[in-house]
Amino acid sequence: MTINGFSLKRYRRTVLPLGLLLLVTVLACLDCGVSISQLWEGMVKGFSFLAYMFPPDWSAFGEMLQPVLESIVIAVLGTSFGTFLSLIFAVFAASNLTHPWIRQITRFLIGFERSIPEIIILLILVAAFGLGAMPAIIALTLGCIGMLGKLLADTIEEIDSVMLDSMTSVGANKLQVVFYGILPQILPNLVTYALFRLEINIRLSVILGAVGAGGIGYELEYAFNMLNYHRAMTAFLLILLMVLGTEQVSNLVKKRIKGREVLL
Amino acid sequence: MRASKLILPSIRFRYRLTYLIAALTVLGAGCMFVGFNPLGFFTEFHYVRDLLGEMLMPEFSQVFSNPTVWGSVLQTLSMAFLGTLFGCLAALVLAFCAASNVMPVKWVRISIRALLAITRATPGLVMILIFVIAVGLGAFAGILSLIFITVGTFGKLFAEIIELSDYAPGEAIYSVGAKRVQVIWFAVLPQTLPSFIANMLYAFDINLRTAISLGIFGGGGIGLQLNMAIKVLRYKDATALICLVIVLVVLFEKISDYFRKRILHSVSLH
Repeated sequence: MTINGFSLKRYRRTVLPLGLLLLVTVLACLDCGVSISQLWEGMVKGFSFLAYMFPPDWSAFGEMLQPVLESIVIAVLGTSFGTFLSLIFAVFAASNLTHPWIRQITRFLIGFERSIPEIIILLILVAAFGLGAMPAIIALTLGCIGMLGKLLADTIEEIDSVMLDSMTSVGANKLQVVFYGILPQILPNLVTYALFRLEINIRLSVILGAVGAGGIGYELEYAFNMLNYHRAMTAFLLILLMVLGTEQVSNLVKKRIKGREVLL
Repeated sequence: MRASKLILPSIRFRYRLTYLIAALTVLGAGCMFVGFNPLGFFTEFHYVRDLLGEMLMPEFSQVFSNPTVWGSVLQTLSMAFLGTLFGCLAALVLAFCAASNVMPVKWVRISIRALLAITRATPGLVMILIFVIAVGLGAFAGILSLIFITVGTFGKLFAEIIELSDYAPGEAIYSVGAKRVQVIWFAVLPQTLPSFIANMLYAFDINLRTAISLGIFGGGGIGLQLNMAIKVLRYKDATALICLVIVLVVLFEKISDYFRKRILHSVSLH
């Protein structure tokens, strides 16, 4: 298209946002004191440092297996407790089961929880309970409630109300409706969401470990602090293995669930 | 019918009971392994009560009169913004190299996909530790790790979006002589751009939280302030900062929700 054919009106929708984006980018760069060339330099430096960390220290491999297992156990425990509790929260947050007031309050609690990053919860809990697995498990449990509570509540609200009505009309109480009407229906979703959350929690447990929960995250940070980079590389490889492994396992389980129409 | 079948619970019930017992055993063994006592949460709850007593009420005046707090809020926002922008651009480029309907060379596709998988599996902690050593403490290390985290999270997603795009328009202009680049520019990109932008807004949401967490490990910004406040036991200041974090996260979630809806809506009208 020639310059004469160029009309601002046609490009208004693209030029204006792009200009705004450029302005914000420049301002943000100034605020952080970064330039594009520096960004590229920083990446090169990061990669060269990663290359410097090679080769991994294989002698540390054996003693790191226990921290890896600890991290996995923390993630699994956090996910299990969290899934169980989020089910309770979801029942109270579903519009077709509870009073609107209770629903509002529960939804607010879930939303409030979700807006705090897990690591901040952990910092507070570590200040309260001291170091160890307990604050990490509680932090992961709370994180789980924030995510699964909302997802499950939305799933419950989508359930056909005719079915629940038919159960109450033949005399089922609320608890029976939940157990025999809702639970079997949302179980496939529940398992899928829980597995999805488990993948997130495995990653989080590594990060939480560095703040004071123990496990492989702590090993990694300790190795970095001791300037023992080859040992850190071993921990890094083990973390990669752990995350990719859980991903594969959860994909396998998800596929099996999809194959079966009804789980129970 | 044998009498035992009437007395004993049904097979299904016994199956469920077995599953339940197995699950509880595994959980119990896990608790023992990491030394976690679920009841400890209740018996030691007075620690939480004591801490809450120390944390309330938040001391807003102390924090908000301090200009470094606002500076660090701004820094966290800039970190999240730059990380999202450059991360998404890099993810976009890599996604075009990894999508099977755009990239004809198979080994490039496979190697890029492997790279994306490794980046996705690497937790942010590893990135920030590496970059803090490579470029020093501060927002710069945070931005670099955010870029990598964003590439890992969204690279594969973008590649899938490209692969799911309708191939008919591309084939149409290819058949009248368009080059490969022109097919991408005029047929693939217009289809996928709205969902890219929507995902970028979503990425900003996630990156804002991540930027706060990265600050704790030396990435600068509000996370650093919060970590320091807790470390020097100024819990009332920490509570005020946490309130600030919550307001920030919720505010930007709402803003990006609004824009995301507008973008996806404006497209469906065409």
